[in-house]
Amino acid sequence: MNYYLQTLVDGIAQGSIYALMAIGFAMIMGILGLVTFTHGEVIMIGAFAGFYALTFLKTGIFVALVAGFAAAWILGLVIELICYRRWPKGPDETWLITTIGVSTVLKSGAQIVLGTEQQLVPDVYTGFWTLGGVRILHIQVFMLVVLFILSAGLWLFLKKTRTGLELKAVSMDKTAAALLGVDVRRILVIGNAIGCALCGVSGVLLGVYYNSVHAVMGGSAGLKSFASAVLGGLTSIPGAAIGGILLGIFENVGVLFFSSGWRDVIAFLILIAVLLVRPSGLLGRKGAEKV
Amino acid sequence: MKTLVRMVQRHGTLSMLCAAGVLLAVPFLIRGNDYLLRIAINILLYSVLATSLNMINGYSGQFNIGQAGFYCIGAYTAAILATRYGVGFWLALPASGLIAALSSVLLGIPTARLRGIFLAICTLGFSEIVRLTILNWIEFTRGPMGIPGIPFPTFFGYEISSNFGFYFLILTIAAVTLFVCHRVLNSRIGRAWIAIREDELAAKSMGIPTTRYKIYNLAFGTFWAGAAGCFYAYLSSYVSADSFTLDEGFAILCMVLVGGPGSLIGPLVGAFFLVVLPEMFRFLAEYRLVIFGLAILVTMHVRPQGIAGGGVFAAIAPDSEEPAGKGAAS
Repeated sequence: MNYYLQTLVDGIAQGSIYALMAIGFAMIMGILGLVTFTHGEVIMIGAFAGFYALTFLKTGIFVALVAGFAAAWILGLVIELICYRRWPKGPDETWLITTIGVSTVLKSGAQIVLGTEQQLVPDVYTGFWTLGGVRILHIQVFMLVVLFILSAGLWLFLKKTRTGLELKAVSMDKTAAALLGVDVRRILVIGNAIGCALCGVSGVLLGVYYNSVHAVMGGSAGLKSFASAVLGGLTSIPGAAIGGILLGIFENVGVLFFSSGWRDVIAFLILIAVLLVRPSGLLGRKGAEKV
Repeated sequence: MKTLVRMVQRHGTLSMLCAAGVLLAVPFLIRGNDYLLRIAINILLYSVLATSLNMINGYSGQFNIGQAGFYCIGAYTAAILATRYGVGFWLALPASGLIAALSSVLLGIPTARLRGIFLAICTLGFSEIVRLTILNWIEFTRGPMGIPGIPFPTFFGYEISSNFGFYFLILTIAAVTLFVCHRVLNSRIGRAWIAIREDELAAKSMGIPTTRYKIYNLAFGTFWAGAAGCFYAYLSSYVSADSFTLDEGFAILCMVLVGGPGSLIGPLVGAFFLVVLPEMFRFLAEYRLVIFGLAILVTMHVRPQGIAGGGVFAAIAPDSEEPAGKGAAS
């Protein structure tokens, strides 16, 4: 029994990272209606920013998180400039192609500049509590706290600020928002940067939790964020968070039954199943033409 | 350049004969130079692969980025048939294509409804799953050890063992691929694919069973990728899952996008450029994929329809439409 509870705890902890990625993804794809393929690479860059902050600058975890946030934010601005600016109306294929181009450059560039071997990330919060035979690491709790703080911040931003309101308007109808005086381009820039920045933070957490960062970590991270966002319903931010946590649990349970070599396959199978059975996801808007 | 294009258009048969003559003459000119012959073989091999992907991406508008997975299936089918069952090259070639096409049907049935990034991610995931399966299914594929010792192909008793022979072999395969693709595209089914690409709803209302035709399209495109995989297995006489990573799929995709999707000549031009370019700048060998990614970006910004394309992406040239929110921004 404890064994299963332990799996559940680990799944939720891992899921909190996926949730953060998925929120960023839902922000970009669901709210702004942009298509992105660079997601995994943004996560990777965020992870490396956090890694360098922790090892070379010897800063604490908080500065590392801020570093990941900032690096991914800047990357988000660059991506917007290269991939979206000239084609504000799409079609989707154009965005897909340009972001694939950026993703290829970033991934192979990172392998050359940052090296292909895994880098060891120093331990943060090594302690743990034992609750009825189940081990809860401090870092796991910390990750959940980060997830809660960031989602609350995002919620406040969307609810309370003018920019957040404009963002919601753009999400509903770009043309109508533009007619009412919303600067759509500015909103796309800001929204994309926020989405990327959240992923940067999730990258730092990913590196810290697994004690390693490497240049090709983006591939599977990107697939997971996509799968979680689709599972939760692309248009919904709470849905993305739930989807991420569920994916984390499914994965850890799945690894119990199969070997860990199949970890990435589980996310993919869940993705296919969701697209087949319920394309709008758990909390997605019905009838939203996303598929 | 424009006059050249016009000349080719006017004298179609003549320019085809010229091209055939050049392609047949090339190996005799560089016979002693194995390095150049290998590059020529690679150009033709990637031409077949890019053409196969172009059939899918360029003609029916399904965005497939996992072509390396089907290439891999073809190569492993050939390798297993040849080493374990002693099947000859000429039987393994269609068999590899058919197995690749069959697996694409298995993928296509659940995913044919998907579009854009959803289909893209699914094909990407499929390509990864193929690689992971091969790595983990050790009894059948020898996993990470790969399959060595694939014999040379024979042609009426004559063993093809030199690059010179392999050049003519891949030239034949490429010619057959292009010929069949050309004929199919000008048939009822090819026109249906183009109709689906232009407007799926309109195609459906004209009576085209779009889902079925999209699966046919996937199967047709991946068949040639499987055949190319078979050739690759015989060429290198050793296959391993490492040769079929996602990067390989991106390289093929890049050739299609840079050359010009939706035209038969485009992928050939793309394959030529993107095989020759890294060879010309050997000191940039590590940067091969960076170059490819940059090539995609430059193409999209400068000439979105590709070097030789005029088909699919002509309509989305930059600034062709009033961008959303422009009025509010200024």
